[in-house]
Amino acid sequence: MRRVGVVALNTFREAVRDRVLYNLLFFALLMMAAAVAVGQISIGIEQTVIVSLGLTAISVIGLLISVFIGVALVSKEMDKRTLYALLAKPVRRWEFLLGKFAGLVLTLAVNTAAMAVGLLLVMIYVKHSLERSDAVVLVAVYFILLKLALIVALALLFSCFTTPLLAILFTVGFYIVGLYVQELRNLPVEVMSPAMSAFTKWLSYLLPNFENFNVMAMAAHGRAVSGALILQNTLYTVVYCTIVLAAAAAVFSRRNLK
Amino acid sequence: MKSEKTIAWVLLLVLPFGFAGIWRLQHGIDAQRESLSQERDDVLLRSGKLVKVMSLEYAPLLADIYWTRVVQYYGNKHVRGQANLELLWPLLDITTTLDPNLLISYRFGAMFLSQAAPAGAGRPDLAVQLIQRGIQANPDYWRLYEDLGFVYYFDLKDYQKASDAFLEGSKKPNAQLWMRVMAAKVAAEGESFATSMFLWKDIYDSTPDPSVKKNALQHLQLLKVKGDCKQLDELADEYAKRYGKRPARMSEMVQAGLLRGIPGDPLGFAYIFGEDGKAELNLDSPLLEQQLLLDRYK
Repeated sequence: MRRVGVVALNTFREAVRDRVLYNLLFFALLMMAAAVAVGQISIGIEQTVIVSLGLTAISVIGLLISVFIGVALVSKEMDKRTLYALLAKPVRRWEFLLGKFAGLVLTLAVNTAAMAVGLLLVMIYVKHSLERSDAVVLVAVYFILLKLALIVALALLFSCFTTPLLAILFTVGFYIVGLYVQELRNLPVEVMSPAMSAFTKWLSYLLPNFENFNVMAMAAHGRAVSGALILQNTLYTVVYCTIVLAAAAAVFSRRNLK
Repeated sequence: MKSEKTIAWVLLLVLPFGFAGIWRLQHGIDAQRESLSQERDDVLLRSGKLVKVMSLEYAPLLADIYWTRVVQYYGNKHVRGQANLELLWPLLDITTTLDPNLLISYRFGAMFLSQAAPAGAGRPDLAVQLIQRGIQANPDYWRLYEDLGFVYYFDLKDYQKASDAFLEGSKKPNAQLWMRVMAAKVAAEGESFATSMFLWKDIYDSTPDPSVKKNALQHLQLLKVKGDCKQLDELADEYAKRYGKRPARMSEMVQAGLLRGIPGDPLGFAYIFGEDGKAELNLDSPLLEQQLLLDRYK
């Protein structure tokens, strides 16, 4: 496990060296502009728009990082041939993968936490104080982080067996499909054959359900999220990531690196 | 080295003069385009459900953007004094489909829709539909029942339904006591001066938006004018009984001891008697324009 930690820490350092955290500057500017502009051009939605915009920015920036850097985690090491030097040391392939995953999730956690602090500061600027109900914003940020972890796992899996471009397409495709899993479950049964109906239902449980993590509207309106949902979503992410990373490790361990 | 210096000097000259030229040109282009400008309001996607599906997981932010569009659309039309607000409903429909909990869009949207032009779209039927949709999504929010009662009372003149809405709202958590009183009063009396004043006063006191506040204030002022004119007409009747003719000027009523001084409207302009002998607003009063606009679209 120590070896996983070393790979994770180096992945985090590499991300910082690659100036990934510079996106925070963009986020800060966006939030400052929004805080000033919204009150001027709309009615009564200052807080709602700050929360919605802040969470959307956290989500979109995180998505871009997790997809593009997630896919590059393995392929970059292979292109630069640094992977061979690493695997010549007593590091197992699955340890390398897990370390890469943990490193990027750590980067995302730091990035997301910094943006969350920025969002809270803008909320204080707009509202002049924070209330207990505003804690739901932190829950929404946590759910975004869970979603990003799942996306990193998927990106890592796809990058283990295909080209970076296809891996990006597959990851983005899974993300979009994962947002409509609920729709898949609610397809009208009467127009489908029983076999098709069973297949879509089965598929809807197999695919990652990203809608689980979407509490943006609740956060924008200060509505509480139950502790049970927080626990269930955490477990869902842990279990799903374990499945995906196990699959990734299986694929990567059989991959011919010559 | 010398050529680099030359390029730097040329750049120093080209950049400010170039952008100054661009600035002037853009002004010219803007002026040209303004003369050619046509009304180009449009809502390309009218299905709220489709927009929601396309918004991925970012529907709340998109709802905020659509709500801002509603405010801007209404505000622009309002400033230009245009009565055609046909895109208001599709925009509100999309906004509330994207975020059914965006209470402000039901409350203000209903006001924009229900009031007669030029203050609103003159579609109280759609306002009722919007509020009922809001009540379905937010059944415990009593203010929506107040808004529903407001539309039934002022715009549809359906006092029974207005009373029902106030009564239903009074049963919701945190509802103000006056909702129950209002339900009984509207059911018993229908439209009355006191009820109208109270409802507009509540809008005036509770709204955070300056334009809605201003609108409520105008209604309060016009209601006051209506009440004043009614009282002055009663006094003029009294004068006619005493002297056998209606007064032509307010000063005659002062001389007769029926008034202590010449009364003024809420902006301080003295009331006058019109050609028909009825009390009315002074021709110089800014309230006259508002009154004429409201009467025109009634």
